[in-house]
Amino acid sequence: MTVQDPYLRFEQCEDTGIVTLWLQGAAGVNKIDHAFGAALIERVAELAELEGLTGVVVATAYRDWCVGADLEFLYAARDPAHLLEGVLALTRSYRALETLGVPVVAALTGSALGGGFELALACHHRIALDQGRVKLGLPEVSLGVLPGAGGTQRLPRLIGFQSALELITQGRVLPAPAAAAKGLVDDLQPTPEAVMAAARTWILAHPGHRAPWDREGFEWPAPAPDSPDARNLFMAGSAMLYKKTAGAYPAAEAAFTAAQEGARLAFDRALELEARIFVKLAVSDGAKDMIRTFFFHKNAADRRVGLPTSDAPDFAKVAVLGAGMMGAGLAWICARAGYAVVLRDIAQPALDRGMAHVAKQAGKLARKKGQEHADAILARITPAVEIDALAGADLVIEAVFEDIGLKHRVIREVEPLMAPGGVFASNTSALPITDLARASAHPERFIGLHFFSPVEAMPLLELIEGRDTAPDTVGRCLTFGQRIRKTPIVVGDGFGFYTTRVFSAYILEGAQLVAEGHDPALIEWAARVAGMAVPPLQVFDEITLVLGKHVVAGSKPYLGDQLDIPGAHLVARMVDELGRTGRSGGAGFYDYVDGRRRGLWSGLGGLSPHAPAETGVEYLAFRLLAVQAAEVARALDEGILKRHRDAEIGAVLGLGFSPPSGGPLAWMDRQGLTGLVERLDALASSHGVRYAPAPMLRAMADRGERFFPR
Amino acid sequence: MPDAYIYDAVRTPRGRGRKDGSLYTVRPVELLAAPLAAIPQRTGLDPALIEDVAAGCVTQTGEQGACVARFGLLAAGYPEEVPGVTHNRFCGSGLEAVNHGAAMVASGYMNWMVAGGVESMSRVAMGADGGAWWDTATQWSVGAVPQGISADLIATMNGFSRHDVDSFAAESQRRAAAAQQADAFSRSLVPVLDPAGLPLLEADEYLRPGTTVETLGKLKPAFDVMGTRFGLDALTRRRYPAVERIQHVHTAGNSSGIVDGAAAVLLGSLEAGEAAGLRPRARIRSIGLVGSEPLIMLTGPVEASRRALARAGMVAGDIDLWEINEAFAVVPLYTMAQLGVSHDRVNVHGGAIALGHPLGATGAVLLGTVLDALEDRDLATGLVTLCIGGGMGIATIIERV
Repeated sequence: MTVQDPYLRFEQCEDTGIVTLWLQGAAGVNKIDHAFGAALIERVAELAELEGLTGVVVATAYRDWCVGADLEFLYAARDPAHLLEGVLALTRSYRALETLGVPVVAALTGSALGGGFELALACHHRIALDQGRVKLGLPEVSLGVLPGAGGTQRLPRLIGFQSALELITQGRVLPAPAAAAKGLVDDLQPTPEAVMAAARTWILAHPGHRAPWDREGFEWPAPAPDSPDARNLFMAGSAMLYKKTAGAYPAAEAAFTAAQEGARLAFDRALELEARIFVKLAVSDGAKDMIRTFFFHKNAADRRVGLPTSDAPDFAKVAVLGAGMMGAGLAWICARAGYAVVLRDIAQPALDRGMAHVAKQAGKLARKKGQEHADAILARITPAVEIDALAGADLVIEAVFEDIGLKHRVIREVEPLMAPGGVFASNTSALPITDLARASAHPERFIGLHFFSPVEAMPLLELIEGRDTAPDTVGRCLTFGQRIRKTPIVVGDGFGFYTTRVFSAYILEGAQLVAEGHDPALIEWAARVAGMAVPPLQVFDEITLVLGKHVVAGSKPYLGDQLDIPGAHLVARMVDELGRTGRSGGAGFYDYVDGRRRGLWSGLGGLSPHAPAETGVEYLAFRLLAVQAAEVARALDEGILKRHRDAEIGAVLGLGFSPPSGGPLAWMDRQGLTGLVERLDALASSHGVRYAPAPMLRAMADRGERFFPR
Repeated sequence: MPDAYIYDAVRTPRGRGRKDGSLYTVRPVELLAAPLAAIPQRTGLDPALIEDVAAGCVTQTGEQGACVARFGLLAAGYPEEVPGVTHNRFCGSGLEAVNHGAAMVASGYMNWMVAGGVESMSRVAMGADGGAWWDTATQWSVGAVPQGISADLIATMNGFSRHDVDSFAAESQRRAAAAQQADAFSRSLVPVLDPAGLPLLEADEYLRPGTTVETLGKLKPAFDVMGTRFGLDALTRRRYPAVERIQHVHTAGNSSGIVDGAAAVLLGSLEAGEAAGLRPRARIRSIGLVGSEPLIMLTGPVEASRRALARAGMVAGDIDLWEINEAFAVVPLYTMAQLGVSHDRVNVHGGAIALGHPLGATGAVLLGTVLDALEDRDLATGLVTLCIGGGMGIATIIERV
């Protein structure tokens, strides 16, 4: 028999009695919204009554299996009682499927994520299509919630606390082969037909099958809950998590609690506990802000909503100028995306080092995907010292030393060799594109493409429009950016554009706080408590104090004395008088032994004669975030930032601005703009004009507005 | 308010808290029964007159569950009309029992009480009773770390070096060995007998006479792996963000010994003693109790002592002898520094580093120890204090009569 339903159709095979439950949600997407949840509840209830039922195969009518909760719905949910009702209904429907009394198999011919993967976990057996495009896992923590439909209860019972919590707290999503290796799926099959056949075979071989935890004598994978080993594991795990997150990620912490406490309970009540913890997180600002940034904003950015497009064909030959780590990395990722690339440096030793970096990346890839695959990519890269090798390039990305004179020379030298209609891009981190474009013969095809290091891993690409950059150029570079798998923001021109401005404000404030006499250990810890991915003094050492000094000096023509603060003087003193230039120099704000960080330099306290009037972790955390937020507001006011999503995505993905906050605009909303403007005014008068609230921010506060509606 | 008087204080010798310890074959309820039985034997007091037995015991699970005080007193031959209560205030339980007894007598509610404690760490392992501090939810909200990390944190924040703590430990061993040699303990020790009546243990066996700073220096820090490799040190930054790195200085040699032991103290009013023809040895002058920061956990003795002193109208300098429990060497070092007390007056017969810390009993053990030492030296006032898990402190001041 067949039951027709817009979302969940089932058909029963007369010979075997096996029902195939087809997931076919609205608009070609299997996501868990109200309608899907209601349909599942109904279908499972019907299955429970169905005569001659011998087993169920849960399959998808689409490419993906089930990609999880409808985030629009989750984003809007603020009433805990109402949300709990919905979550309990869903998790109980999964439980009802699990306890039908017949074997249930998930035929994973497509991706199953979040609540979708939790449906797969509620099935007794998971068979996946053996392809990398099939992604499986529980990413909820990265959106500020946790798996709320059994994931924190079933996964530990399947693969043990340690593996389960690692996956859940990291929000890891794995391709099917890796997922099988971790025990998330039981079997891999080469084709969708083979998956379906294997599902049916398994059902017929396991009549009356029940979930392990519903069977007599069920034993947890070691360690058993509340055993001394389990207690130690949880204590060590929570310590590791705290060490990494400084308490800034309540969702990850909650996952530990849900797993540990749920393990003590009868299974159905454990599901209830998990649902209640889920609701607490889901209605909080933290979750809303993370969902907005990491789902809505990131998706809109990746789909280039509202951005220029181009009909021009994609670039055929890319030239990267400068074989430093950035240039070499760029060459690698372009080649990996299928582009023919020339990597050029005027110095052979530098070129050799760059190609060694490329070789290392190729080696890593070869171990995962085979030597042939890696070799094919390598074959696309041509290293060159002679300039003729660049001939015919239609995209040039210069990553040479940050000096406008040098860059102008390079532009004039290279542009004539380009293919007609090519685009010249600069990877400068701060020099205004319009100024660089003065050396270009075709400023309409001149653009800033600001990448982040290490370019293989950092997902952000900041495109900067010079005064004359044409929309078509932007469109072409967005296509390029998508092909190399970067998330784009498109900003206006100015010294430091967006990300460098905010990043500089952050690290300089770190130095400034040292100059004011605050305990450096507190400064660093405050940054971590605030959710910043890396504390300011540590990252300052990474990029080197020399570069910092250079940026401050370079800012003078554009920003005047704005960066002329005691923190900048302290940096200059450390470089010029104390020889402490940063990590690569063996000493900076931190001490290093054999390149490894050993702790803050004990002499920092002596560099400041002052004792600050007010200090402490909370105060310092506010200073570090507020100085960045003030910069962001200015960037919006000046039109450097043209859309709110760019502010958030750029800050979080580009410079690690507190991911759990959702981004600087979300952070400002949470402070309340009126109170924030007051505090910024006070800080501006006591500590400097860099805190002054931009006119746009003040106007918003006066009108009682927020960046994002609640 | 009338006073509570101490008429007698006894304890078993402390056995090594391992399967090869001399008291390992003794059930905890029988271990407690030994000092309990000794009280009426030594004093001649009719046990029917005892109105309650309060015993400290920390790991109240398994053999130490189900009110070991009640079954211990019955095993000791007390009449069934004598009730019992088992206290858990972690390491302070034994002194908690004494303070409870003192309060009942001093208030006039009771005439006679026996207070003491028991812990068989060889049979019921520390931590076997679980508890909320193992839950990540408690760790995230309140904060909890293993005590050794707390001890190392105190050492780091107050500048106590490995050499400092080892020196203290070596001195504790020296004093304990000297006291044992001089027979300073024997009048308060009651032997534990086997079923045939043969003595299992007659003297404390945990000591290592001849311990020196050099021998101690060879031991590996006990909390380094859990603190740095497993990252438990990170949990302390929540309250102590300025401490970048904890120096791990405590080892098995400068931390309290894991042992088996029990103790009992007879508390009564002056009139009750007169009626029974017994002479009191000392009176309880004051008590102090505090809660302190749970992560650093072990600093409670300072404030608890201050409260007890203030309540008695005394200052630290008025106390002749101190017993500051040597949970970890840094605890008495820190407490002495904070209160301005010299080591000359503290733990004069050695302490738990040498003799062992039978968790639920130690408070009562130290009370008997300081009383003996006061009598030996003909001094007047003693203060007993212990640090306590979860961040607490307890103190009791006694005065010879």
